[in-house]
Amino acid sequence: MVGNPALRTEAVWKVFHQEAEEVRAVRGVTLTIQPGEFVVLAGPSGSGKTTLLNLIGGLTRPTDGRVWVDGLELTRMGSRELARMRLEKLGFIFQSYNLLPVLSALENAEFPLLLRGMERDQRERRVRELFQRTGLAGLEHRRPGKLSGGQQQRVAVIRAVVGEPALVLADEPTANLDSAASDILLTVMEELNRDLGTTFIFATHDSRLMERSRRLIHLVDGQIVSDQWQESRREQ
Amino acid sequence: MSSKTAVIAKLALRNLRRQARRSLLTAASMIAGGALLIFSLILGDGTHEQWIDSAVRMADGHLAVQSVGFQDSRALKDRIPSESRGLVEQALRQGGFPANINDMVPRLAVTGMASSAAGARPARILGVDPVVEAAFSVLDEKVRQGRYLQSGDRLAAFVGIGLLEALDLRLGSKFVLTAQDAGGEIAGQLVRVVGTFRTGIPEVDRSLLHIPLSTAGAWLGCSGDVTSIGLLLGNSEQVPQTRSSLRQRLSQHPGSEELQVLSWRESLPELDAAVKIDDFSNYLFQGILFGIIALGIVNTVLMSVMYRRREFGVLQALGLTPGQSASLVLVEGLFLTVLSGTIGIALGLSVTWFLWGEGLDLSSMMNNEWTFSGVVMEPVVVPRFRVARMVQGLSFIFLIGMLASLYPALRALRIDVAETMKFER
Repeated sequence: MVGNPALRTEAVWKVFHQEAEEVRAVRGVTLTIQPGEFVVLAGPSGSGKTTLLNLIGGLTRPTDGRVWVDGLELTRMGSRELARMRLEKLGFIFQSYNLLPVLSALENAEFPLLLRGMERDQRERRVRELFQRTGLAGLEHRRPGKLSGGQQQRVAVIRAVVGEPALVLADEPTANLDSAASDILLTVMEELNRDLGTTFIFATHDSRLMERSRRLIHLVDGQIVSDQWQESRREQ
Repeated sequence: MSSKTAVIAKLALRNLRRQARRSLLTAASMIAGGALLIFSLILGDGTHEQWIDSAVRMADGHLAVQSVGFQDSRALKDRIPSESRGLVEQALRQGGFPANINDMVPRLAVTGMASSAAGARPARILGVDPVVEAAFSVLDEKVRQGRYLQSGDRLAAFVGIGLLEALDLRLGSKFVLTAQDAGGEIAGQLVRVVGTFRTGIPEVDRSLLHIPLSTAGAWLGCSGDVTSIGLLLGNSEQVPQTRSSLRQRLSQHPGSEELQVLSWRESLPELDAAVKIDDFSNYLFQGILFGIIALGIVNTVLMSVMYRRREFGVLQALGLTPGQSASLVLVEGLFLTVLSGTIGIALGLSVTWFLWGEGLDLSSMMNNEWTFSGVVMEPVVVPRFRVARMVQGLSFIFLIGMLASLYPALRALRIDVAETMKFER
């Protein structure tokens, strides 16, 4: 029996109304992403990458079309169900890290598990292992303000993957990082993808990230103009 | 506590600590408000209790058993006959005297004239049992000349200073009391001044006099009868319960339908109104004060929500529902108000207890005796500490916290997650 795709969209549209103007941010996108893929959505500013990520994440509702995450149809869900779906099926990585400043690195990372009600020992074991894996061991009790940008983003990555979601959505994760920090971050995400089978979808301008993806989807004016499978440079 | 509730509580506390200065400033206003609230409530209660105590001792007690109709007619025809008086006393003593009844006084009140060679004046004549009356009333403490009535006195009168002067009497002077007796005839009684009093209430000092109950009964042809049986309780709070229990006891006796049990609120309607008006003005003042404090809380919590819009977006992206995001704001507002309000109440109680626990002396502000509604204002106000007031104060603060956090919580509820993320661009 074949499992559910990590993501499926069917003719998804998103139209915004700004004063008298109608903006078609996403235009009939149909897309299927299988578990374990490492996909980049690329395209110029205003091409609809972030809007598409928001639609996939259930953060905004499509004007038309349907979205399934791990077989669950988002478009029919109420706000409570969407929240539960995000908690159980999705991980988010944002450009500005968006860690909660009042929590330590460890508390930020374990946040989804905390919301799920997982026991403390189990939670900490899983998070500490990921801290070890991502080179953050020893920084568990620092507040975000005491971490570098790269470190903060790695904490955000742990937070996104710690609950073993069906899909991790990353919006410009390297945009605020220098080359060295970006490289470390990408390596971490590639390893998590390879070792844990976590599915990643990135929206980015970053050519380094595009080069390291295995599937590159180009969006222009809210439409998919190319969908290419490639061997990442690292694999080469 | 569910995992999400625990997370919300933890985040709320940490967020308050994060904006420590802003939280402390808001908390300071709430602490001051809480302290002022409890101070004014317990001082107000103390003042009212003093008014009530002073008035009920001059009048018919916290509770008065009277014949139906006496409250309106004030006529001897509506007296309690001696058999019924026995019934009341029996009902009270049945199964033990209620613990909260401190004193019980029988009185025979009649309106008549007091006459001397200098003239005649209207007089409110009270026939009293000197021994129990001395424990009940405050008149024996207001002696200006001579003494209060004593057991064994027969033709003695204890007279208000105003009446004494109007009749040009002195200690030992004889004068005549005239009133309609139980048979409807005009009857006279010669009495002798054994003492005078001054309450500070002109209408009382000009008209009131006490004579022995036995003398009054014999004079008015109704020996053993009384017009009221006054009950003095530990405090005014005990009135409703004692009244209900007394009514219950009386109802078991035949003839009790001719009797009624009045509370001080009914026998002293002016005082009741004065207490209510004073309470209302106090509540109004507190309402305005807390309205202003609430605006400060709204400002603090709302600023916090606006400042953290993206955080609320992140929380929802991570799995909190919009309702849970809003509840985080409510919890922050409630933590802030309830914690600081509780501190304020504790502070208000402590300060009042230590500085004015024995009484707040206002004598420097009161040049002369101050009276109203037949009550002499005492210059020292003793605060009255009641658990109910603390519960009321905390509930009020909780309500203010809830109301003040409601609008910011609604703003958090309506946050568009995708919109908040746009600020990253």
